[in-house]
Amino acid sequence: MVHPETQPPANPKLALLALRESASDEELLIAVGNQQSRIAFNTLFNRFSNRIFAMGMKLTRNEQLAKDLVQEAMLMVWQKAPLYDLDRGNAQGWIFALTRNRCFDLLRKIKRQPACVSADDIWPNDGDYRDLVESVDTGFMSVELEQVRACYAQLPTAQLAVIEQIYVHDRTHEEAAAELNIPLGTLKSRLRLGMEKLRTLVEAQ
Amino acid sequence: MIAVSNKVNLHPPQEQMQKFVAGELSTGLSVAVSAHIEYCAACQQASAKLEQALSADWDAAATAIAESEFNSILDHIAAQPQSVAAATVDAVPRAIVVNNKSVSLPRVLAKIAAAGLEWQHLRGGISQALVKLDDHTRCEFIYMKPGSKAPAHTHSGNEVMIVLDGSFCDELGEYQAADFVMRDPSYRHQPRTVEGCLCFSVLDSPLLFTEGMRRLLNPLNRLLFLHR
Repeated sequence: MVHPETQPPANPKLALLALRESASDEELLIAVGNQQSRIAFNTLFNRFSNRIFAMGMKLTRNEQLAKDLVQEAMLMVWQKAPLYDLDRGNAQGWIFALTRNRCFDLLRKIKRQPACVSADDIWPNDGDYRDLVESVDTGFMSVELEQVRACYAQLPTAQLAVIEQIYVHDRTHEEAAAELNIPLGTLKSRLRLGMEKLRTLVEAQ
Repeated sequence: MIAVSNKVNLHPPQEQMQKFVAGELSTGLSVAVSAHIEYCAACQQASAKLEQALSADWDAAATAIAESEFNSILDHIAAQPQSVAAATVDAVPRAIVVNNKSVSLPRVLAKIAAAGLEWQHLRGGISQALVKLDDHTRCEFIYMKPGSKAPAHTHSGNEVMIVLDGSFCDELGEYQAADFVMRDPSYRHQPRTVEGCLCFSVLDSPLLFTEGMRRLLNPLNRLLFLHR
């Protein structure tokens, strides 16, 4: 079934991509996020609903719960798509983590477990530790804090502010962007540039 | 801020990590693994890789959803507004004060502690604060004052302890912050600490829990988590 697009897409080229069955999961998810494309969403639904159902059956062993999970997880994909970008890894991994988290909370609710903790607390950012992993890969985290401090002085103020928010105050990307009053994308690029600069400075020591 | 370290000694076994990433562990154990991962650089990498691998192998079930149902779910979702709600992460205070010392907790434990901890002070400088997370595990924060010693004990189930602050040792070794210490029923151990120690403990035995309830009725022995 095909829903008509309610509004003319802002970027016709992207909308066309979404129409193609050959579009990647990432292109589809971004089209859903940026343009609320129902056609792109339908294609994603086709690709993922049975996988979500399979995970639901495995974890809940209950057909009705597994169907509820398909509805909850895909609704979340529809609603959270604007928060997805390529920095978050591939779309399949993103939807997998989101589905696992919804299933975990669904089961907690059914079992009437206390609400003091939820899946998003257990797997922060839907299980996305990638920013930290990248830093560790280059051996950055093993560098003594004192050494790093000496390099801070050489960073542009704007990049330093972002790094402080994330690594010193331990904020999420979204929280930090709100705190500094800058768009999320700007924050991410400043963070990336700042960390690269910092890494170069540390390695040069 | 919690220091992420490359030098953590004790980690969850591979099989447990895999179940964690797949969402198959109990809430109590998931919380313990999550807390360890927040401290441990190696396990952050390992869990990211496992998640990548699991999602890449993510297959559909043999029995698919009927097309009519498929369409009605799709209709239902498409009728919902796409709220561009920025992710709202509750800002919870990370630090708790134990024995007049401020200790910074991993995010997931800080969230649990924020709901309020009720400390029970036991004999020998040991305190515990139970938190109810699910029906399969018995979870608690345990604090041992500097120089204290727990009675020697075995467990009737598996116990996981995450060291959050300070250190403790037993007959098998010494454990530092972030260590994921596992004890199965075959160990008889007597934890003791020189500098004091805050831990989060998960005991995965519903059997022991019942026994613990019974022991709660006995005012002379309030060390419910220990078998003497």
